[in-house]
Amino acid sequence: MSQLDILLIVSRVCFGAFVPLCFIAVCVWMERRGAAFFQDRSGPNRANICGFRAGGLVQNLADAVKLITKEDIIPGHLKHKFYFVLAPCIVFCIAIASFAAIPFADVMKIGGKEYIMQTIPTDLGILWFLALAGFGVYGIILAGWSSHNKYGVLGGLRAAAQVISYEIPMGLAIVSALIVYGTVNLTGIAQFQGQLLFGFIPMWGVVLQPLGAIIFIVAAFAEANRTPFDLAEGESELVAGFHVEYSSMKFGMFFMGEYVAMFTNAAIIVTLYFGGFQIPWLATETLVAYARPLTVLMMLAVPACGWIFCLWMSKNNRSHYAHESDYRDREVAVYTKIVWGIVAAIDIMLFVYLIAASGGDADRVLVMFLQVFTFLIKTTMMCFVYVWVRWTLPRFRYDQLQRLGWQTLLPLSLLNIFITSAVVVALS
Amino acid sequence: MSGKVKIMERRGKDLYERVYLIEVFKGMATTFGHFLRNFLDNSKLLVRHYPEQKPEITARWRGRHRLTKHEDGSMKCVACFMCQTNCPAKCIMIEAGERTDGRTEKMPVRFDIDLLECIYCGYCVEACPMDAIRMDTGIFSVTGNERESFVMKLEDLLATPGAFSEEEYKKGGA
Repeated sequence: MSQLDILLIVSRVCFGAFVPLCFIAVCVWMERRGAAFFQDRSGPNRANICGFRAGGLVQNLADAVKLITKEDIIPGHLKHKFYFVLAPCIVFCIAIASFAAIPFADVMKIGGKEYIMQTIPTDLGILWFLALAGFGVYGIILAGWSSHNKYGVLGGLRAAAQVISYEIPMGLAIVSALIVYGTVNLTGIAQFQGQLLFGFIPMWGVVLQPLGAIIFIVAAFAEANRTPFDLAEGESELVAGFHVEYSSMKFGMFFMGEYVAMFTNAAIIVTLYFGGFQIPWLATETLVAYARPLTVLMMLAVPACGWIFCLWMSKNNRSHYAHESDYRDREVAVYTKIVWGIVAAIDIMLFVYLIAASGGDADRVLVMFLQVFTFLIKTTMMCFVYVWVRWTLPRFRYDQLQRLGWQTLLPLSLLNIFITSAVVVALS
Repeated sequence: MSGKVKIMERRGKDLYERVYLIEVFKGMATTFGHFLRNFLDNSKLLVRHYPEQKPEITARWRGRHRLTKHEDGSMKCVACFMCQTNCPAKCIMIEAGERTDGRTEKMPVRFDIDLLECIYCGYCVEACPMDAIRMDTGIFSVTGNERESFVMKLEDLLATPGAFSEEEYKKGGA
């Protein structure tokens, strides 16, 4: 193994481990501020460090401090304390591990070698995700059962029934997608979506499989226990459901696990149906071929984005009440400097690349970074859809949930398989 | 008992609504409209930035209590125990003493209101025959570091001024 191999392995593992963790903060922040904006509120905007609030991100820090320093209670009546502690660990670890098979960039060819940009370079891809997604609910059931609490048990049972009912439409939706893509390898699936349909429409899964995409997204919402399917913790009837007995960081693990699961599900939805790391109309080889003009374009686009962001910030980061020496003005001044600093750094890096390193392997690295960026943007947008749906739709009743799963999604996904296979057979 | 009966139309049975997705997308469009409006210009948020912007308190608002005084500065309270007897939360504790200014015979030497017990029902104000206790201070948030600091003493109650003019207070329905 050369040094490059080791470096790439380490960076891939770091990406797979730390990006979901970082996105906990982003998702929680997006959830709270997003929820507030959906409901015409302003959301948490007070917590600060030396007057800097980072748009409310500092609130996450305050929450973390609160969760860590709270009393960590293990109720005295429990018979199985080990399982009680194990349950949140399962939920959290499974959620992080299921991200491991997702490709975040195309296969990178450096020095005649190919590097698969997944944390675990496995061909099983989608099967890895399915296996772990099904396993994640064990943590919830275990938590409900070991809490020795009627609400906990009810929440756990609901989660179990729900995951079983929605695993089937999800699996069938994936089957029809696999018929189209002809591979279970997620990198292969994402590469397939780089083609163009009729020469001008990106061949994304959502174009080829609209019904399958809807079924998969609905089932993924149910898998992640998100509204409108969050019956397992329905606070109006079950207090808090499966995590009713949990406090402090054990609750924090459930909480973080939920958001990692949301991120992972968003990533798998993006990979299967929204082109994964593919930039629309620009496949990997096109990107490599036109690396130089694209770099010039980016050098212009980055300051433009920075300028728009600064305009938006100076308009919106103002106090809407009489205030002597508005601390938000200072904040805006500092943030503007930071934004232009980042813009300058990116532009200098791109310039150095243009002068010194363009052509050859550096192009590949540049394209890899572009694709990682595209993938993260798409995933963030999908996470936003999760938030958006949560603050739009009310919770389903339990019988409605099961009826939707068994009587609507299951027949529809079967129908989708028949239609897909008929079309695929007819075309080939 | 001939109340008007309005029969509501039951929704959700026809195919258009049974498909769910159309209605779901309509709902999502509505919420996204709100999001976009607030995202592009957050001065349109329907919020009061609380510690900086105080809410407007009307004269009818039952805030923290105070004891009123005559024009010459002597207290109106005659220690008749009406408020204490009437208090459903049993938060008032009066101790009567002899009155020295010659108005009547009694006055309180101790008048404690435990604000942690008080439910702000206003029965003490209604019961008072002398208009001596009022809840028109406009104080809506009482904070403290110890339990003891929530027990209002006679001096605290007398020292707090009313937040409204006599005219406004009367108009408020007292």
